[in-house]
Amino acid sequence: MSSPTLLRSRFHDHGEKRTEDITEEDNVAESKAEPKTSTWLNMDVSVAEWDIFILSTCLKLLLFPAYHSTDFEVHRNWLAITHSLPLSKWYYDTTSKWTLDYPPFFAYFEKVLSIPAYFIDKRIVDLNNLDYDAWSVVAYQRTTVILTELVLGAAVLRFIRGARDPALQRIISASLFLHPGFLIVDHIHFQYNGFMFGILLWSIYMARQGDKLSSGFLFAVLLNFKHIYMYLAPAYFIYLLRSFCMSPQGEVLPRNFLSLANIVIAVFVVSVGPFILMGQLPQLLSRLFPFTRGLNHAYWAPNAWALVTAADRVLLQIVKRIGLNVSLNASGITSTSRGLVGDTVFAVLPNIKPIHTFAITLLFQTIFLIKLWRTPTYKSFLAGLTLCGYTSFMFGWHVHEKAILLVLVPLSLLACESYPYFRTFTIASVAGVFSLFPLLFTPPEIFVEVIYSTLWATLVFVPLNRRMYEFPRSLPGVIVDLLEKVYLAGFPILQIVVTAIPILGSRTSRSQQAAVAGTCVAGNFSCPEPYPAPLNGSSGSSSLDFLPLMLTSVYCAVGLVWAFLRLSWIYLKHD
Amino acid sequence: MHRQGMREWVVPCFVVASVWVRWCIGLGSYSGQSTPPMFGDYEAQRHWMELTIHLPTRQWYTYDLQYWGLDYPPLTAYVSWLCGIVGAWINPAWFALDKSRGIETSGSKLYMRSTVLAFDVLVYIPAVILFTRAWHSNRSLRSQNLALITLLLQPALLLIDFGHFQYNSVMLGFTLLALNCFAKGRDLLGAFFFVLSLGFKQMALYYAPAIGSYLVGKCIYLGRQDGLRLFIRLAVVTSLSFVVLFLPWLPPFAPLSAILDPITRIFPFNRGLFEDKVANFWCASNVIFKWRTWLSRGALVRLSTVLTALGFLPGAATLILGGVKTQVQPEERTKGGSPAPILRLLPYALLTSSMSFFLFSFQVHEKTILLPLLPVTLLLSGASPDSGPFAWCALVNNVAVFSMWPLLKKDGLGIQYIATTVMWNRFIGYKPFQIRDRTFVQFLSVAVYASFLFLHFLEMILTPPVRYPDLFPVLNVLVSTPVFVLIWLWSIKCGLQVLWALGGLGSGASSRHRRNSTLSPITEQPGNVDGLPEDSRPVQMGGIGRDSGRRTTSFSVGQAHHRHPSKESASSGVGQNL
Repeated sequence: MSSPTLLRSRFHDHGEKRTEDITEEDNVAESKAEPKTSTWLNMDVSVAEWDIFILSTCLKLLLFPAYHSTDFEVHRNWLAITHSLPLSKWYYDTTSKWTLDYPPFFAYFEKVLSIPAYFIDKRIVDLNNLDYDAWSVVAYQRTTVILTELVLGAAVLRFIRGARDPALQRIISASLFLHPGFLIVDHIHFQYNGFMFGILLWSIYMARQGDKLSSGFLFAVLLNFKHIYMYLAPAYFIYLLRSFCMSPQGEVLPRNFLSLANIVIAVFVVSVGPFILMGQLPQLLSRLFPFTRGLNHAYWAPNAWALVTAADRVLLQIVKRIGLNVSLNASGITSTSRGLVGDTVFAVLPNIKPIHTFAITLLFQTIFLIKLWRTPTYKSFLAGLTLCGYTSFMFGWHVHEKAILLVLVPLSLLACESYPYFRTFTIASVAGVFSLFPLLFTPPEIFVEVIYSTLWATLVFVPLNRRMYEFPRSLPGVIVDLLEKVYLAGFPILQIVVTAIPILGSRTSRSQQAAVAGTCVAGNFSCPEPYPAPLNGSSGSSSLDFLPLMLTSVYCAVGLVWAFLRLSWIYLKHD
Repeated sequence: MHRQGMREWVVPCFVVASVWVRWCIGLGSYSGQSTPPMFGDYEAQRHWMELTIHLPTRQWYTYDLQYWGLDYPPLTAYVSWLCGIVGAWINPAWFALDKSRGIETSGSKLYMRSTVLAFDVLVYIPAVILFTRAWHSNRSLRSQNLALITLLLQPALLLIDFGHFQYNSVMLGFTLLALNCFAKGRDLLGAFFFVLSLGFKQMALYYAPAIGSYLVGKCIYLGRQDGLRLFIRLAVVTSLSFVVLFLPWLPPFAPLSAILDPITRIFPFNRGLFEDKVANFWCASNVIFKWRTWLSRGALVRLSTVLTALGFLPGAATLILGGVKTQVQPEERTKGGSPAPILRLLPYALLTSSMSFFLFSFQVHEKTILLPLLPVTLLLSGASPDSGPFAWCALVNNVAVFSMWPLLKKDGLGIQYIATTVMWNRFIGYKPFQIRDRTFVQFLSVAVYASFLFLHFLEMILTPPVRYPDLFPVLNVLVSTPVFVLIWLWSIKCGLQVLWALGGLGSGASSRHRRNSTLSPITEQPGNVDGLPEDSRPVQMGGIGRDSGRRTTSFSVGQAHHRHPSKESASSGVGQNL
């Protein structure tokens, strides 16, 4: 290219950059989709951050008509319960089978949301209007998800300011705000995780800033929104106790201790107090902690138990083939073939009881917490917090796959610490996000989640990798590096296999049907769709429904277990 | 992204992201969803797939015309046939003859949506990528990519194709491919692609005056001998392509009279002057002047034809005149492989011609605004964000989306309407409410946007009175039409200016173009589709040239390329004799 052209292009670039810098927030006013512009104007939000915020909001708006799970109706029902019943009946109502089983703050939150809902459409908060999903309630509930997610947006923005490396932190923050986990679980499946994790991140941010009292307060608030965050509570407890209530020399600081204790107790009093006064505490607790479920969820969460269960299935096949004289558990042979909610019974291996999972979790957590006790720094807290949640996810009883977010979110904050952390983050994120895919089983939404996650992964991992990459120095390092790459490369193949199985299955089952039913298929509109819905599907062979889920679960479990070991190693050995 | 060292990832990411957006729009409802017995455009397209795979070719244009009879040219029919074959292989129930009418299963919807996406990815997206490379080849990669995203996420097209449900991107993609070929000097291939575009949807005729004039202009430009040779070749290629497209309805495959079936279906003159409420001249003036009571249909047809012809005449004339003015001397024969200098007139001429069809011709739909929008967006993609052309084109794009609001509302695409429009404006860095240079177009934009918001607000809080059920669509038309008329006039003005800059310079012209035509398309390419300010820079010009330069600045068209065009013309030694 000739020099004048080059010169011109430089000129032009320059001009564009200049105009881009001038870009201001004023055009935001045009859209009705943009909330809170005026209060945000005085915060220091850069143009690029506005861009991300506005564009992502538009994308989320496009997902309004997407599939939503029963959680949508769950939350609508809670709007109805909190709006039309007095406080004393909230935890007793059984009009819908989706009873209120979140802590009181979430119930208060739903109460607040139900007020505008009443003015938008009265039928939203009608207790007996079950399974209502008119456009009004869809738009309203989806909008509340987007709006409350601003808590998350604000928190990740705060993380950029004053970060050690703002450029890296900006990528991490953007990756959190745009996390496919939130897109899948919140904006399609329907939950309020963005809001909850926003509170968690605010709490972590306060810890980073050294304001541990606020950190503890926010975490207590969070616990009263959703009790699953108890997974993280031990790390909080140890960290605050060691670094806030005790001096570095190990002396107890009573003033700090008392103020923290008071503030936490105050939060709980506000939350649970009314129910204690009404004598409803046992009812409340029985709603929050139903101990009647099995080891695995319908779709095995990709944790250690998924691997154990899979090993049991494999052993069973081997035993059957060879005809070994091993005492088989009769009920275990049929169990988990469909994997519906219920107790998992092993055929070959000894059965797991809740107490076992509890003991293992506690054991691992103790190891990490001792480390945290010895080095109560912010970074160590972050790693300890992640590992605490990770342990619960790995070994907990009846873990849901959505709980992986508890690991991925704090782990993201660690990603820019060093290359080993970043590598762990990559593996855990890819496996973790992939393990969320089965939450959505309608083909259009599968396309949405797969493409979005791929895009997200490219935009996050490529620039970070470029900045963080370190060549492995030892031979084992090279081998591990290679194996990890092979493992990651397996995901596209897994996705193809998982997509292909139901299609092939339905084609064969339809051709069988056609053979049986003659020509009636062609004229019948209600004939089965090519993709049976795995979780509530009724047609086809059940093994074909369950096989993709099992493959996904086991493959992701391998990566997540490996990332767990990796992270533990880094934390215990190197820091 | 460029700063993060992700240069090579930009195009793939843009493409994937735009595919994702397209798909997400498709999650919503489509035209005619659950409205038996006729449903809407979605059912029409599906019905064509159904009938083409079950019937012999001769019956395609005659089968049960009352229920969405096929009324698009053969390429659409062939594409429908292909989609139908594949779809029936997956699930025969989706396309069972007659029995599948109004089928609305999720699987069928999924398949239909994916066919649109597939053809968009096959035709439109490559065409757009090639366009940014062929027409903006002298721009930085960054501006090329900006142009790419401008074209990829254009909200009107996305909403109609992926929301409402049509295959416009195929027709537009073929036209765009034709333009790319013209820019590379491959006129025959270009003509072929344009025939494909016409063969997909007859609406591409809106471009025909401009494309035809460009080719004629190019023949004139090439001089008697070469020009005549090119002309004959073009004629042969074009007519052969048409014959191939219509082969099943021509002898020896069918009696000669059979060709009348598709022709009468494709050109329906027995319908009304306009359908629903469309932001064109007829519908807007109908508020005061009730055309249909005053004039017979025959008279109206004639009147609209005359007005349309008058409307596109300036665009066609500039191209031909440009060809005459820049004609190469016989001794300076050029290679056929380079485009004519009049190429930079082409986008304006396309806009003039398609907009005049939209405004004045018979039987126009509101969706047809997509055709003028293509050249508008092409011009937009070449303009820098603080220039006059940018302001005009962005305004027209937004007005076009707004003008389709009644349709989108009917289809239940409100949320997609908001989301895609905001997203696109943000992506291209457009600031709708900013008045920076106090130019006419900026004041106009603010006024228009304010009235949009006001109308939307009114529509939200008020139900129209019983006497005027169409109150809001009519108001919509009354706001949109003036903008469309203005952009039509603007395109004529710009075309004349470019023409002026090209050759209105007496003796200097021939020497200039001798030099030009030997330059490679990369340096001389009218990468700046809004090309005129390049040559009409006041600084470089003496005499008449200065006049035109001043005029362009006063029309606020000139700011776009203040900096770099001067570099270009100075360094390539072209500008002096202006």
